[in-house]
Amino acid sequence: MIAHSLHDLGYGFTIAFQWHNLAWSLFGVVIGNLIGVLPGMGVLSTMSILLPLTYTMHPVAAVLMLAGIFYGSQYGGAISAILLNLPSHPPHAVTCLDGYPMTLRGKAGTALGIAMLSSFLAASVGILVMIVASPVLVRLADTFGAPEMFSIMLLGLLIGATMSRGPALKGIAATLLGLMFSMVGMDAESGTMRYTFGTFNLADGLELVALAMGLFGIADFILHANKPRPPLAPLSLAFRDMWPSRTEIRQALPAALRGTLIGTLFGAMPGTGPTITTFVAYALERRLSRHPERFGTGMAQGIAAPEAASHAKTQVDFIPTMSLGIPGDAMMALILGALLIQGIEPGPQLITDHPEVFWGLIASFWIGNVLLMVLNMPLIGIWIRVLRVPYRYLFPSAIFFIAIGTYTTQNNLFHVWEVLAFGIIGSVLLVLDIPVAPVLLGFVLGPMLEENFRRAMLLSHGDLSILIRHPVSGVFLALSALLIGSIATARWIRSLALMKRD
Amino acid sequence: MTRHPILMRRRCLFLASATMATGMLRAAGVLAADFPQQPITIIVPFPPGGSTDLLARRIGEKLSSSLSASVIVQNRGGAGGIIGSNYVAHARPDGYTLLFGVTGTNAISASLYTSLPFDPRHDFIPISVIVSAPLILVVNAHEPIQNLEDYIDSSRKNQNSMTFGSPGNGTSMHLTGAMFAQAADLRLVHVPFHGSAPAMQALLSGQIQSLFGDIAVMAPQIRAGTLRALAVTSQKRHPAYPDVPTIAESGFPGFESLSWQGIFAPAATPAPVVDMLNQQIVAAVKAPDLSQFFALRGMTVEGRSVTDSTAFVNTEITKWSDVVKKTGIHIG
Repeated sequence: MIAHSLHDLGYGFTIAFQWHNLAWSLFGVVIGNLIGVLPGMGVLSTMSILLPLTYTMHPVAAVLMLAGIFYGSQYGGAISAILLNLPSHPPHAVTCLDGYPMTLRGKAGTALGIAMLSSFLAASVGILVMIVASPVLVRLADTFGAPEMFSIMLLGLLIGATMSRGPALKGIAATLLGLMFSMVGMDAESGTMRYTFGTFNLADGLELVALAMGLFGIADFILHANKPRPPLAPLSLAFRDMWPSRTEIRQALPAALRGTLIGTLFGAMPGTGPTITTFVAYALERRLSRHPERFGTGMAQGIAAPEAASHAKTQVDFIPTMSLGIPGDAMMALILGALLIQGIEPGPQLITDHPEVFWGLIASFWIGNVLLMVLNMPLIGIWIRVLRVPYRYLFPSAIFFIAIGTYTTQNNLFHVWEVLAFGIIGSVLLVLDIPVAPVLLGFVLGPMLEENFRRAMLLSHGDLSILIRHPVSGVFLALSALLIGSIATARWIRSLALMKRD
Repeated sequence: MTRHPILMRRRCLFLASATMATGMLRAAGVLAADFPQQPITIIVPFPPGGSTDLLARRIGEKLSSSLSASVIVQNRGGAGGIIGSNYVAHARPDGYTLLFGVTGTNAISASLYTSLPFDPRHDFIPISVIVSAPLILVVNAHEPIQNLEDYIDSSRKNQNSMTFGSPGNGTSMHLTGAMFAQAADLRLVHVPFHGSAPAMQALLSGQIQSLFGDIAVMAPQIRAGTLRALAVTSQKRHPAYPDVPTIAESGFPGFESLSWQGIFAPAATPAPVVDMLNQQIVAAVKAPDLSQFFALRGMTVEGRSVTDSTAFVNTEITKWSDVVKKTGIHIG
């Protein structure tokens, strides 16, 4: 079967290397990369603006271009997260945690280099998984229902709450705050409006992009607007300073591999979303590290693992989209829509009916990722020059792009006000030394946790034991219990030791 | 939204007095020949990438070439289409801001919400109802259920534990399921999802048992044999599925649920502009390439006249308000 796949892949490469396909793929990744760098610019709106271009294209070129925008934007997203603490793509919020401190230490080039290399590694592995394991993964996905999702989300929340620096209590408080933010909006099951204060602008809840931009970027800007920032370490633009050192590669490589594994696993569970993936990858690194206290100060592992996880997940996410015709998210839906306009119906028959689309796409992933690497490594020098722009210009222009980007997500001015509100909330949290990353995680996972729990209850007619009877769900619940147990025991032992010393 | 409220009010006052002063003259003065003089914006009240968005973009592209003005399709998603619809309901009624409305935004919303910032019946004039399609009741092909009778029997036998999914609370798929349950005197368990893709995933993996879905979305799965079609919700059988009975013919006469799309203008839009847009839109949707696109998606081209569309939408509003009342489903 693998030999067959390799043969098909070879066919895919002949398609992807046709010059017009190659050109559209390059166009897509370049546009995606640029959009990803601009804080808050929506990939989805970019794709929909460029959709009319595809009407006259060959379907393969259309899909290659749109997919290129999608994964190209992820490379770009890491850049603004690392340089400006702006997670233009919310899963990159985790990359901010160690990427931005590294920038402050004058090692922006290294941080970007690690991010790019890990992403490339993970994407390559993800593509291989797509080629050899997609039938297995599709079957695996079928075993993930509401109870499983609930238990995974619960574990994700616990991990996120306990992973940040500083006292665990603050992390938990931040997670709870995120959960509270996620309560706003229409209750999916009963249709009741919660905390919307009568405005339909809040019916779908608070806007994720606004929350991410406000809590991270704007909060940081507000706090630093009127005082000189700690001077950055002198920037070196020499190539050897951008390329991570051998020690850094030795630290980052295993982390990137573990991140890839996590991304692939989460990729096999459609609907989990990329945010939980990056948080879990980061938390795992912290737990495995001999120096967990150093996370958040600019650790190579803290960049490599989440970046790898997010890219592996992105690639693997294409499996349900292409092999079942079920889009994993709005971006995937748009890619399938482009096929539909061309008269190709996405569905279980797509791979057999239109092998050129499927295999051409897979081959183009690899080409596109190589292009992104080739494009970005030399560009690192240019990107970090952004940091030399005086803050009095940099801040206003970043805010300008954030405002535009947030507005274009739904063409609704209300979301821009949300950015401001979250900016203020975020700066209060920063002053109180409460980590903001768990707020984002709580916000993203809250609705998934609640909806899957209630869906599980609907399906089991209110029988709670469904959460344990489903083996996968049971395992995740056990892991959650183990996590709480280990934290509690560690604390208990520590306080016991303290008492003895007294 | 960015405009200053007082300025807005003044402008409204000015407009109102100008309209009163010129009265008849103004109504007659708007000639279709003068229209359009600037780009026309069609608001899609959903995020980009969805099926409504794709449809609107195809039609927008067609209109751009037939009208001598560019047609911009803009997404203003949120609150199940209420945000975008509300925007158009209060837009300047000059024919330059139009709504790409659907069953949910322009019929069901009238009764579903406890409070709504606009009135679907009186704040809009339907320029044309463009296409319609029935929903199709499907089950996983692994289920022993072969037809509608089996479906009803099985839900009765299993102590009313038959589940049906929907893309969300208050959607036409939800209401149709509830309407059917009531007609057949069954209790069906409604399981809402966020959008049709996760609902479909749940059906394919056997988490939920059935779905009243969009024909276009279900078609590839039915063809691949992963889902089994039991019935369609239109009065007549669907041309692409001549073997699938209608619910109406299966012992529930009059049962009908259509998912339709149309283009709407703010109510006070001058009649000549509305008529002119109607002609252009009807011509666009009946063009061979678009008709073929609709057929592929399982949709029937309606392309109704303004009077016909108004009557149709009003009947739909009344019909769904009846369903909302009987099932007790509401949002707010």
